[in-house]
Amino acid sequence: MYLLDIRNLSIEMTSPKGKRVKILDKVNLRVHAGEIHSVVGESGSGKSLLAKAILGFINPRWTVTADRLWWNGKDLLSLTPKQRRQVSGRDMAMIFQNPNSYLDPNSTVGEQLAEAIPAGDVRGTFLRRRVDRRTRVKRLLHRVGVRDHEGIMESYPFELSEGIAQKVSIAMAVAHRPKLLIADEPTTAMESSTRGQIYKLLARLSYLQDMSVLLITQDIGSIIPESQHVTMLYCGQLMESGPKDAILNNPRHPYTDSMIRMSMQRLDDLPHKSRLPTLPGSIPTLEHMPIGCRLGPRCPKARKECVQVPRVSKHEQHSFHCHFPLAEDDS
Amino acid sequence: MIRYTLRRFLLFLFTLWLLTIVTFSLGFLFPEFKHSDPTVGSYLAYLSAILHGDWGVSMSTGQDVTEQLWIHLGATIELSFLAMLLSLVVAIPLGILAAMNQRSMFDRWVVSAAMTGYSIPVFWLAQLLILLFAVHYDWFAITGQITPLYDIPTRTGAVLVDVMLSDSANASLAFWDAVNHMVLPVIVLAMMPLTMLIRIMRDATLDVLDKNYIKAARARGLSELKLMRRHALPNAMQPLIRQLGLQFSVLMTNALLTEVIFNRLGIGSWLVKSIYERDYPVLQSGLLVFASFILLINLLVELYHAWRYPQVRQELYAEY
Repeated sequence: MYLLDIRNLSIEMTSPKGKRVKILDKVNLRVHAGEIHSVVGESGSGKSLLAKAILGFINPRWTVTADRLWWNGKDLLSLTPKQRRQVSGRDMAMIFQNPNSYLDPNSTVGEQLAEAIPAGDVRGTFLRRRVDRRTRVKRLLHRVGVRDHEGIMESYPFELSEGIAQKVSIAMAVAHRPKLLIADEPTTAMESSTRGQIYKLLARLSYLQDMSVLLITQDIGSIIPESQHVTMLYCGQLMESGPKDAILNNPRHPYTDSMIRMSMQRLDDLPHKSRLPTLPGSIPTLEHMPIGCRLGPRCPKARKECVQVPRVSKHEQHSFHCHFPLAEDDS
Repeated sequence: MIRYTLRRFLLFLFTLWLLTIVTFSLGFLFPEFKHSDPTVGSYLAYLSAILHGDWGVSMSTGQDVTEQLWIHLGATIELSFLAMLLSLVVAIPLGILAAMNQRSMFDRWVVSAAMTGYSIPVFWLAQLLILLFAVHYDWFAITGQITPLYDIPTRTGAVLVDVMLSDSANASLAFWDAVNHMVLPVIVLAMMPLTMLIRIMRDATLDVLDKNYIKAARARGLSELKLMRRHALPNAMQPLIRQLGLQFSVLMTNALLTEVIFNRLGIGSWLVKSIYERDYPVLQSGLLVFASFILLINLLVELYHAWRYPQVRQELYAEY
C-alpha cells in the first residue's frame, strides 16, 4: 500500500479574464512510506500547488477533483475541512523556502520549538513538565544537527543564518513525528555547502524516523541524491515519473532530457560561441496554455499528434506522457 | 540593551537641556517682561535654580511654583493615564475583532465609527457630551474634580489618589463623586487616541494574520485561540506600541483643552490661565514640565518597545 496515492488530480481556477484554466491537469503521484520522492518543475508548473492540495490548503474558490486522493488508505476528499486539518496536522509537516519568514520574529527559538512539541509527549507533574519540555527541545535540536543548543534556544529568528533557521524549522516540523514531510524548495537561496547539510539531514531523518519526504525543487541537477523517485511536472501536467536512476540515465520524455542536459552540462564542454542547449520559447502564461501536451510549442520532437493529450506509457515503474518518447537505452 | 538604553537616555538629557534654553529665552523674549538678560551667566544661574528646585514665585498668586507644579502635574497625569487606559482597553479588542471578521458588517461599522470619531474636534465633542449627559440627563458633573463639600485635602493633585489618602469619613462617597466628575473628560480625551489605535490595531492584525509564520503555526494544528494569544497578538501589538508615544503627545495636547472645558485642575488649565494672566514664571516652568513629561513618556515607550521586540534594536544599528 502507498502512503500517498494520487490519481488524476486536477485543480481548476478562473483566470483574471474569466476563463477556466486547469492549473494542475491530471497529475498522478505515489509515495511509499519512508521514501524520498523529488518533484521537479519550473516556476508555474504547479509543484507548490500539488503540495498545498495534499495538505488541504487550497483556495476555496478553486475546484479540486481527483479520481483518488488517498492517505494511508483513507480518502482525503471525503473528509470535512476540519478532519482534513486534523489529519494533515498530525501526519504531515511542511518546510519552506524562506525559513525565517516561517518563524515568529518576536519569540525565541526555544519557545517556538517547545510549542511544536505535542502536549501528550511531555511527562511529569506541573513543575517537571517545564524541565522535560526543555530536554525535549534540546534533543530535537541535536537531532537536526545543531550542537550549540543553549545559544540557539535563546536566539531570535533574525539572529540565525539561513541554514540554521532551516534546521530549526525542520526540527519544528519533525517534532510530532509526521509520516510525510513536504519540503518546498528548502534550499533554493542557500549556498551549496549548506544545501548539502540540509539534504543530508533530510535523508537521515527520513531513514531514522521512517518518514517520507516529498522534496519539491526546480532544478533536476539539484535533487537530493538519496531520493528514490523523481516526478517531472511542466505547466501542471505530468511529464515523466519513475525511479531516480531510470530518469537520470535514461529519460524517455524530451522535456526531462532537455532539463538534464541543461543542468548537468558543463559549460566548458560546449564549443565556443555555440547556443546553450535550452528549449526554445518560454513558459506559457495561464491564459495561453496550449491544448494537448502543454510542452508542444517548445518541444523539439513535436508533431501534429501533440495537440492531443498523450496517454501514459509504462515501463515497469517508469511512466511517461509522450507521443514520441526517446528511444530506450539498452546499456 | 544597556547600550541602547544609555544612548536613548543621553538623547533624552540632551533634549531636556535644549528645552531649558527655550524656556530660559522666554524670560527675555516677551516684550513687557524682562526677567533675565540673554547672557550665559544668567542662563547658568537659571539652570542651577531649576536643578535646585527653585522654580520661582507665581506673579498672580504669590505662591511657590514648585509646589503648585506637582499638584497640577499629578492631576494631568491621572486624567491622561485613565484616558489612555480606556482607549487601549477598547481599541485593542475592537481592532482585533474587526480584523478577524474583515469586510463583515461589524468591521465596516467599527472602521466608519473610528473614522467619524477621528474627525470630530475635541472641544465640540466635549460640548455635545455635556449637553446630552450633563444638561439633558443630568448624569454626570461637568466642572471641577469633586464636589467641594467633601473637603478632601489636595496632596498629589490626582483626585482619586487624594481621596484614598484622606481619612475622610465619607471616603467612598467622595470616591464615586470624583469618578462621576471624571467620566466625561476621560471619554472626551480618550476619543482621539481610541480612533487612531483602533485603526492601527486592525491594520496590524490584518498584516500579521497574513504572515507566513501564522499560516505555518495554523498548519501545525495550533488552536485558533493559542494562535491569536501567542503569535498574532504580540506581533500585532508591535506597531501599536511604537505609535503609543506619539499618541500620548496628541492626548496631552487635548488634555490641555479638556481641562479648560471641564474646569479641572491640571497643568493644561494652569498653563492657559498663566497665559491670560501673563504669569511668566508659571508659564516657563509649566512648559518645561509639560514638555519633559511628554519626552519622558516617549522615552519609556521606546525603551519598552525595544526591550519587548529585540528585532528593533538590531535595525537601529548596522545590518550584519
